Amino acid sequence: MKPLNLITGETVGILLFFIGLYGLMTKKTIVKTIMSMSIMQAGIYLFYITINYSPDTVPPIGQSREAAFADPVPSALMITAIVIGIGVTAIGLTMFMHYKQQHGITHWSRNRNQQGSEH
Amino acid sequence: MARQSNSYIHILRIVLAVVGAAVMLFVYLNHSEKLNTPLMDFFTDDFLAQTGADNAVAAIYLNYRVFDTLFEALMLMVSVMEVINVSWANKHSDRYQLEEDDMYYKNNSELVARMVGIVYPFVILLGLYIIANGHVSPGGGFQGGAILATALISRYLVYPNFDLDLHIIEKMEKILFLFIVLTPVLYVFMQIQPDNTVISHQVYMVFMNTLIGLKVFFGLSIIFYRFVFYEGADNTFIDR
Repeated sequence: MKPLNLITGETVGILLFFIGLYGLMTKKTIVKTIMSMSIMQAGIYLFYITINYSPDTVPPIGQSREAAFADPVPSALMITAIVIGIGVTAIGLTMFMHYKQQHGITHWSRNRNQQGSEH
Repeated sequence: MARQSNSYIHILRIVLAVVGAAVMLFVYLNHSEKLNTPLMDFFTDDFLAQTGADNAVAAIYLNYRVFDTLFEALMLMVSVMEVINVSWANKHSDRYQLEEDDMYYKNNSELVARMVGIVYPFVILLGLYIIANGHVSPGGGFQGGAILATALISRYLVYPNFDLDLHIIEKMEKILFLFIVLTPVLYVFMQIQPDNTVISHQVYMVFMNTLIGLKVFFGLSIIFYRFVFYEGADNTFIDR
């Protein structure tokens, strides 16, 4: 298998997912945690919308069938997942702002006075 | 000592992520099992006659798998309710005296304001077109709603004042959600349909797309305006 054939949407999606997981495990800033979650979601979207893809298909619109249809199922699933991702990000950011204003917490840390961007 | 064990844990986490990615990639690239696609075959077999939609994706999320859409709409509504109600700014709203004179043309470029003012009727038109044609062409409620919300965001660029009553918009979103639940329950689940379903399927598709588009529009607008005017307020302004 040639190296270029390895760079498909699925492999990049898997890598993005694990980059997001790495961010979730190591970063101590809450905003960076939320960003990592978004990166994981992006990986999942990319994986799903490129799964079962072959270049000689046409979009599944109409009944003409000049060629085989592309798979509409992952697209339909990802439409809902994208909106849910927006909702999750909005909830996370709002809760972060609440904690920031109420307790002054910006890091996942026992030390409340921790500031700065070294993490 | 503590710092050293911290760095060990850090390295362990990096190794865990790399090993996880390697295992997933290895398993994914080496699987030789060919799976059939029964769902795709079922959904693309005769969707025009069964659902009245030319677009198979619209047929799936409005007819075959309409539960997805119901719970997605519920999820967006819950997040909007959370953004409005679970907010520090609610209990301290007296400190959020939004001063109109300061905000007007605060740091907006004249070029952006004028150009967006010219463009945004067309953005609304495009959003309505995508909603109305969602069942025959690429598009649908979610995409059109997002484009309509873009129109409201560009309105913020032109006229950055907070003169929308978000609670009314939230109430309208809840009413829309009620209709989004009621319509498929009556039409798809309980099969309250006329005998000749060719036209009624199309009407159902357009109606549901419109409801979903408006709901997504309201939801994204509420989230955007809350974030811009409440959550995004800077600390010096609040601590005063």
